[in-house]
Formats: sequence, structure tokens, C-alpha cells
Amino acid sequence: MRQLPVAKAEPPRRTYPTDTAVDFVVVGSGVAGASVARELTRNGFDVVLLEQGRNVGPDDMEHDELGAFAWPRWTNDPALSPQMYRKSASEKATQQQFVQYARAVGGTTLHFTGNFWRFRPIDFNERSVRGGVPGAALEDWPITYEELEPYYAAVEYAVGVSGAVNDDPREPMRSKPYPLPPVNVTGPGVLLEVGAKKLGWSSKAAPMAILSREYKGRQPCHNCGFCLAFPCEWGAKSGANWTMVPEALASGRCELRPDSYVRKIETDDTGRVTGVIYFDSQKREIVQKAKAVVVCANGAETPRLLLMSKSNRFPEGLANSSGMLGKHLMFNGGTTSSGEFEHEIHAHKGPVVTRITQEHYELDTSLGLIGGGGFDFRVSVPGLMRTLSMPSDGPMWGSAFKQRMRPWFLNSLEAFGHTTSLPVSTNTIDLDPELKDAWGLPALRVTFREHEHDMRLYKYFTARGHELLVASGAKKVTDNPVNDTPGGAVHLLGTARMGNDPKNSVIDRYHRAHDVKNLFIVDGSSFVTSGRGQPTMTIQALAFRAADHIAEFARTGEI
Amino acid sequence: MPEHVSSETAVSRREFVAGFAALGAVWMVAGTACARDSGTAAADTRLVHFTPDQAKQVDAISARILPSDGTPGAREAGVLYFIDRTLTTFAKDQAPLFADGLTSLAAATVKAHGTAATFAALAPEQQDALLRSIEETPFFGAFRFATLAGFLSLPKYGGNKDYVGWKFIGQEVGMEHKAPFGWYDRPENQMALLGEVL
Repeated sequence: MRQLPVAKAEPPRRTYPTDTAVDFVVVGSGVAGASVARELTRNGFDVVLLEQGRNVGPDDMEHDELGAFAWPRWTNDPALSPQMYRKSASEKATQQQFVQYARAVGGTTLHFTGNFWRFRPIDFNERSVRGGVPGAALEDWPITYEELEPYYAAVEYAVGVSGAVNDDPREPMRSKPYPLPPVNVTGPGVLLEVGAKKLGWSSKAAPMAILSREYKGRQPCHNCGFCLAFPCEWGAKSGANWTMVPEALASGRCELRPDSYVRKIETDDTGRVTGVIYFDSQKREIVQKAKAVVVCANGAETPRLLLMSKSNRFPEGLANSSGMLGKHLMFNGGTTSSGEFEHEIHAHKGPVVTRITQEHYELDTSLGLIGGGGFDFRVSVPGLMRTLSMPSDGPMWGSAFKQRMRPWFLNSLEAFGHTTSLPVSTNTIDLDPELKDAWGLPALRVTFREHEHDMRLYKYFTARGHELLVASGAKKVTDNPVNDTPGGAVHLLGTARMGNDPKNSVIDRYHRAHDVKNLFIVDGSSFVTSGRGQPTMTIQALAFRAADHIAEFARTGEI
Repeated sequence: MPEHVSSETAVSRREFVAGFAALGAVWMVAGTACARDSGTAAADTRLVHFTPDQAKQVDAISARILPSDGTPGAREAGVLYFIDRTLTTFAKDQAPLFADGLTSLAAATVKAHGTAATFAALAPEQQDALLRSIEETPFFGAFRFATLAGFLSLPKYGGNKDYVGWKFIGQEVGMEHKAPFGWYDRPENQMALLGEVL
């Protein structure tokens, strides 16, 4: 079981003194931070990469459903990092774990599905093309698809994305084919194709950050099936822990410090960043000096850290003269229906997703909806979680329940819709005024209510998912209700949005904070809109692009 | 609703919350030791939490939730030992809920069947009738969750002995699986359904 031919992210080959300013401190080793670190080191700069979570090596990866779901073996722990949640500012918040992310080296890519959709041009200029929506702060991005395209291609080749170019004219321009062929189709993929064909919908091999062939010395997927919510023992899932972090370390110009939880970014009298203060694994406070800081802590922790970094000069939080920091929190929409089929699917084996349809990427104007999305067919989770999700319209214990268990596990799947969600200024991340985390820092507070438009969009997508399941031959379809009170939200977006106007955005088009010349912010918080459901690829492409510009600024004395 | 790890987590979160209310820090201390110590602990059938009477009752309840009715159920999986261990480790906070629930069920048993009656000694139909009367209680919800968790979690946690739970639902043990995985991805069936092999 443990003879897997893989190497964990290597220990630091180089160390840097804390009292001498290193070129860059990067806060967060998820897909954004690790990519920035890798790119900056390749440009000859020294990087200290700080990660609040631990380094999860192969010995710590296990097919342990209780560990993955019932308590946070790899994700943020409510006992140590509690959160507060309320629907609106007029409500009193209650303790609830609303947002979820992996707290480990590699960030959430440690345990992600690996859906690696690119955005399309419309995702960057929808406001101009389709107009605004009342109650939403819909804006164009200050960059275009064409500008980001070379970085999408660079990411695909850097990490090894599996996929296939098709001839659908709605697909965006690509400068290069995928570096790897698609992952092998599984039962859910075949069934999605059957349904799409019957309905006349487009479909395609899913672009996945999972290796279909050996690539850069890493093994291809072995179809173990413990994929989403689990780290990949084989190293086939192209998360930052298997790709960007080891490559940054191999440069000899990066020191990775896990268990290093940054509590403040320090500034001087001139308003420049001088370094960071963090807690090490023993809760000792360490000050690391830096010439510049890049914050890549995710769409929830990034605004929290910047708000905690307030000072006399920055009383509303660092980089927050616009008052936009923490606002416009978006998650993407997720809709689901389950379908039960005549034959065994064994959807728990292989990659979670192998085929998708993006027929509804852009919706007809007559629907009165903007945005859109796509579908995959899947079973996301192994047997315990899957069994717990059985529809409660039949016996739930006893022999009659037992008879339902095996067919439910082997013959059913989910149509999972991934959609746009709109930026709304009252959906926010900020600091709870009372609750503290285990380090005595203000707890994360989420204020979030779905926009009415999005509820209609999710209902539309639920109906399409239902239709797709029927067309694929499902004998029974059960729609999960569209409601606005879930927890465990992932895809943390929009809370430090990019824009040309310092009055209504936090960072400029190069990810530099409008207010602080040597502070950069690169992660899901940079998003202006949510796209259509799968943000990781765009987060990583933005990180590659940002690092390119940051390196150029550093070379030319512009930091 | 917001994008989440999976539909299953959205659907079953309520059950997880009901089942294991406050794990967190307890797991950090107790669970780590338990996770490292897989082989021996799984085979250990000593009780660390329940009294012998409670154990009989717990065993009987779990055996009605997942009966041994020709195929393995809670008993074959060792669900009793799973629950016993969880209540002293990562589900410590649930111990009062279980203790109170067992006491109430014992009282209901006496009320329905006389002072000498114990739940474990009742006929299955009588046991089911009593369980139906408490189906909506937090105790039963937590118990059902714990039974399923004991049936389907890793054997190192004390249940799912020899992976009987996984085998029962058809979840194969292993680091590697070879295609075709099921009926639909078999080449001949792809050909019949789609006219091509993807």
C-alpha cells in the first residue's frame, strides 16, 4: 500500500534569515501561491513560501472517509479556525463552518476534483455584452481572454492537463493542443454522452488536471477512486503539492515553511510593506522581512489577513482605501440531481469526472438569465458519504434499507451543474467582532445571501440536469432542492477584485494593490466575476501572468 | 446553492452534524494516535466505554438498523466496537446522548413489555416497533449515523471488519482499478449505446 513510487514535496533546500529582507514572501502555498513562487524563482528571485497548514506527505494520505469528511484531517478545522455566518448585516451571526478549503501545502488542490476548465471571452466582458443586473456589482475584468490565453497554455503544459480539442465553434481560441490525451472514459462519462446525444447537446472530454499518461516523471491515474476530498497517493492529480511546490523548491531559491500562520502584514511610515508576522508550529511569533509580499491565501483568508493588517496609516485594513476588500464574495452555483440506472456503473472508480457538456455555457437572452455553466455526471464520494446521501423516500434502516444500499452505490450517479454566481456587494468576508480562533485572532465572518437571479439560474440548471438524466436512461431521478442555506462552500472568489479604478477595486490589472506598491494579491479573491463553475485553472493562469509582471517590475526597479 | 465539495456533502451534512457534533480538537489529540495504530486495534473486541448491559443493547439496536439477514450486517462488521471506541475518542461529546438514549429506550422497553424485559432479549418485531417510536429523536439519528459509519469506515476505527461493509455495497478495496469498471463503459455496451467507443 505504501510502496507507491512517488516523492513528496521536498524539504527546504535553502533557508533564509528572517531579519534580512528576502525578495518575496508569498503567503499561501495553494495553486496561486505555489505557482507564483515557482515562477518567481525561475526568474531568479528568492522566495519564502509560508503555509498555515502542514505538509501532507504520502504517509499521511489515506482512503479515510471519516478523516476527509467527519473531521478535518486535511481541511480547515472548525475547532481551531471557527467561522461565523449570517445572511445579512442586520442579522446576528452564528457559529457555522460556511467556507471550506484545504489547510495544507498545496492548498485545496491537495484534494480537488481536477476540473480544469478555461474561462471563455464572455467571462471577462459579460457586463458589456449582456448588461448589468440590479442588485449585482457586475463589472468587466480589466483583462481579456486573449491576454490570459498564453498563460492558460503555459499552465496546461506545466502541470499536465488531459483533454481533447474539439471543433465546437463556441470553444475559445487556443494556441496549443492539450499536452495529454483525455483521461479514460468511465460509466458516468458514457451516460452523459448518451443523454447529450439524445438531446442534441454538445459534449466533450473533460479537461482534467489528472494525468492520463506519465508526465514529467509523475505516474498516470490508477483509478483508485478516492479522489475528490482525498490527496492523491500516486501523484497523478496535478495539484500544487505534486507540481508547483516541488518545482519551486527544486530551483534552490525557495524555502517552504509549513505550519506558518501569518497574522499580519507589516508596513512602515511610508506605507510600504516590510514583511510579515506569523505563528510557527509552536505558536511562536516570527517576523520575516521582505522586499515585497504576495498574498495568495484564498478568497476567504486573503481579505481576512488584510483586514487584520490594519494600522494607523491603513485604519480600514491594508489595501482597503476603496472599501471593497472582502466584498463580492462568490462561490459559483452547484446544482444536483441523482439518477438511478438499470445496470451497474461503479462510478466510484476512476477520475470523478471524464466527460462534460457546456451546452448551457451562454444562455439565450429570452431566458432573462445571464451567466451559465456546464454539467458533469459523477459520484463525488466513496461508500459512507454516498450511502448517507440516499434519498429518504424509502426505508432508511432495517432489511429493506439494506436492500437499497448496493444498487444505490453501484447503479446511481449525480448530474452536477456548475454555474455562475453574481458578485453582490453585501456578500462579504470580514472579521467577527467577538469570536477568536485558536491563536486568539478574530474569526472569519461570512455574510452571504444568494442573489434572486442566481436562485432562478440554479432552478434552470436543476431542470436541465434532470432532463439530461432522463435522456441518458435513468429509471428514477431525484432533484436536490435549490436552497440558499448550505455550508461547506468551496470556490472562494471575488473578495479583492481586480480593476482599473482604485475607488472600486482592490488590485490593478497586474495584481498590485492600488494602495501599496510592494504588495500583490493573487488568488480567487482577484476575480471580478465567477465564471461558470470551475475557477482553479483561471486562478493558476492569473498566477502565472501575475508572476510574469511582478518579476518584470522587480527587474526594472518598479517595486 | 453555492458550489460545494459534492452534492453528497450538502445532503448528508445534517447527518454528520447530528452524528458527530463536535469533533475537532478531540480528534487532534485522540484521533491521531488511533489513526496510526491500525492493525491491532481493529481486531480488538474489548469494550472500553459501554457496560456489558449497554453493549448488548447497542449491539441489538445496530443489528436492527443493519440486520444480519443472510448478508453481513452491523454484527459482522463489529459496529458495537466502532461505537464503543468512538465515544471515548473523537465522538466523546456524543457519550451523554448515547447514554441518555439507551436509558430512555430501556425505560420504554419496560413500559411496553414488563419490568423483566430488556431490549436485547425482545423479538425483532418488538425491537423494530420500539425503534420506530424513537425514529425522529436525535439519539436514533446519531445511532443510525454511527452504525453506517461503523459499517463503512476504515477497519482501523474498529468496525467494517475485513471490509465486510465495503464488500456488501460493492466498494472494492485497492489502490488501482482497471477499466471497464461497470456495465456502461464496456466497449460493446458503449458501441450499442453510442455507436462508438469513447
